[in-house]
Amino acid sequence: MKLTEQDITLWGNDIPWLAGLREKGMRAFTATGLPTAKTEAWKYSFNAVGNMENLQIDTAPHECNGHCHHSEELPFAAYYIDFCNGKLQGEHFDLPRGVSVKPLVEAIYDGDAKSYLNKSFAVEKFPFAALNAAYLEQGAMIVVERNTVLDKPIVIRYHAHKSQNLFCNIRNIIALEARAKAEIIEYIDIEESTCFHNAVNEIFLAADSILKHYKLQKEGKTKYVSLNSVQQRSNSHYKCFVLQKENALARHESYINLLQEGACAEVDGAYRLNESGVSDITTNIRHLAPHTTSNQLVKGVVAGKAKGVFQGQIHIAPDAQQTEGHQLHRALLLSDEGEVDCKPELEIFADDVKCSHGATCGDLDKEQLFYMQSRGICMEEARQILIEAYLQEVLNMIDNSEIAAWISKNL
Amino acid sequence: MGKPILEIKNLSAKVADKEIIKNLNLTINAGEVHALMGPNGTGKSTLSYILTGKPGYEITDGEILFHGRDLTTLKPEERACAGIFLSMQYPVAIPGVASNNFLKHAVNAKRKYEGKPELDAAEFLKLLRGVAKDLDISAEMLKREINVGFSGGEKKRMEILQMSLLQPKLAILDEADSGLDIDALKIVAEGVNKWHNNDNSLLIITHHQDLLNHIQPDVVHIYADGHIVKSGDKNLAIELEKSGYKAFVDTKE
Ligand SMILES: Nc1ncnc2c1ncn2[C@@H]1O[C@H](COP(=O)(O)OP(=O)(O)OP(=O)(O)O)[C@@H](O)[C@H]1O
Ligand SMILES: [Mg+2]
Repeated sequence: MKLTEQDITLWGNDIPWLAGLREKGMRAFTATGLPTAKTEAWKYSFNAVGNMENLQIDTAPHECNGHCHHSEELPFAAYYIDFCNGKLQGEHFDLPRGVSVKPLVEAIYDGDAKSYLNKSFAVEKFPFAALNAAYLEQGAMIVVERNTVLDKPIVIRYHAHKSQNLFCNIRNIIALEARAKAEIIEYIDIEESTCFHNAVNEIFLAADSILKHYKLQKEGKTKYVSLNSVQQRSNSHYKCFVLQKENALARHESYINLLQEGACAEVDGAYRLNESGVSDITTNIRHLAPHTTSNQLVKGVVAGKAKGVFQGQIHIAPDAQQTEGHQLHRALLLSDEGEVDCKPELEIFADDVKCSHGATCGDLDKEQLFYMQSRGICMEEARQILIEAYLQEVLNMIDNSEIAAWISKNL
Repeated sequence: MGKPILEIKNLSAKVADKEIIKNLNLTINAGEVHALMGPNGTGKSTLSYILTGKPGYEITDGEILFHGRDLTTLKPEERACAGIFLSMQYPVAIPGVASNNFLKHAVNAKRKYEGKPELDAAEFLKLLRGVAKDLDISAEMLKREINVGFSGGEKKRMEILQMSLLQPKLAILDEADSGLDIDALKIVAEGVNKWHNNDNSLLIITHHQDLLNHIQPDVVHIYADGHIVKSGDKNLAIELEKSGYKAFVDTKE
């Protein structure tokens, strides 16, 4: 494969442990290669990855600081971290006491990143994350110190501009210490079809910490795959909401380990595809301790030739008693050529558990449509209203009303 | 009386391959109130759906004119904008759509059809408040998802609220009185009477005399087996209440 043969020099290859991580990543990727129909976790969306031969890693700096893409301010107060063409913009981030944001390279240089990088997942199991490890360099490390409650959300914006065949690998580390609380929003606003983003977030939640993680993938023509690998200690709470609009490929994969008692994970999401493209929401939630809970609600709307994928795996380890894991995926399939694939997977090895999963796939309700028409509302508008109402149920899972309103506007 | 608003001539119609309406004739003139009474399951609601253009109903014969123009070629929303309103026997719940938002869409759809500018949020709210007050509908209820968890009576009041907002030329009330308590029945009747004038007309489908005490019908029709078997003045409804349908319908069984 051309891409992996490209002769590039990444920053810091003289740091032995970093070079070791990269080598291990490359070895793991070379062993598996790109996902195929046989790669279980990718069986519905491997095709959308397409040909990666022409992609290039660009090691040159790209410092536009938002000039090549006019960054949109969100309608609420926030701290911003920007990536353009896969490169972190700026080096210094002003955050209140108790919160630090550093470029990943700085965190590697300082040694801060060492105990986190590749610590939340095994590269052998995730081909794209392995590739991401092989090209480790770009990213940010966010640490919220113990007892610190962040006053405003941190927004990570991803843009691209004139990104000729760029392959962008981004690795973020998000660590919340005990009793810390934060909201992090990822805003992916990439129109261009000429780049491929491969993002990995490694998220570490210490005891009693709370992270609310929102992700809005705007419509575009791009390919964006991500792994969100979460490690949760006792009574920590991870609450994630993702909205994926139409793109060539948008994949949000969660790999969540509930390591200690009382840990709770919620992954909710919505996708809306009008014409084409693939939205893939894949989760693997592993209950490894007693009294852990997880909840998932994902709703999608698929029209045209688009494809919506939901794969939800819940694993409950033998001693994870008194555990609850629930999962529901519902989709509206509005065309004959569209496709919705849903694969729930429960692996339950404990006996005292409450688990459920469900899936529905249907069309808009004819009685509701007629009711609206009989009030003078035309078919097209009635459909829009019903689609938004359908997705509203999952938007109600967002408890920050300003963020909910913003995401709702982008439905 | 005024000009005809609705003319149904020799109408026959099928649903799911079953002939329900059989050679029905009915003319309603401007200003008139007609009551249609008939046994369960014979096709009264079916008629109301045919008039409003619900998919799934096939007209096999006859014609329907609204203000002298063929109604059957119009889409349901066009019929609504042209002035036909149906207060449904079973109003449909739409989870996720707030009542006030739904009502705003409906009002603005009609305004758009009429070439009038759409109402903004404040203008609409003003209009809505006035009408809702008459029907004793609270602001809380208007914020709720439309018809979701509404009681029978609340649903019917919400239907009449829509009628008042949309100011149709022909209103069909399909059992608007079912599920209403005595006070609510009065409120609904007052709402209807407030809208009714010499220019518009009303078709009331009902099983009971009560609503007709509040809204005086000009003509009462007894409907059975797909068509009207007898028409008369308001005394016919009183007579029917006493005798039941047996006296008017030949029971073939
Ligand atoms: N979509 C349908 N498929 C099959 N049968 C139908 C359908 N719609 C109506 N019908 C039948 O047509 C007949 C007439 O129904 P309709 O609802 O019009 O009666 P109705 O006169 O309004 O009765 P009620 O007084 O009980 O409201 C009934 O036998 C009903 O079951
Ligand atoms: Mg009926």
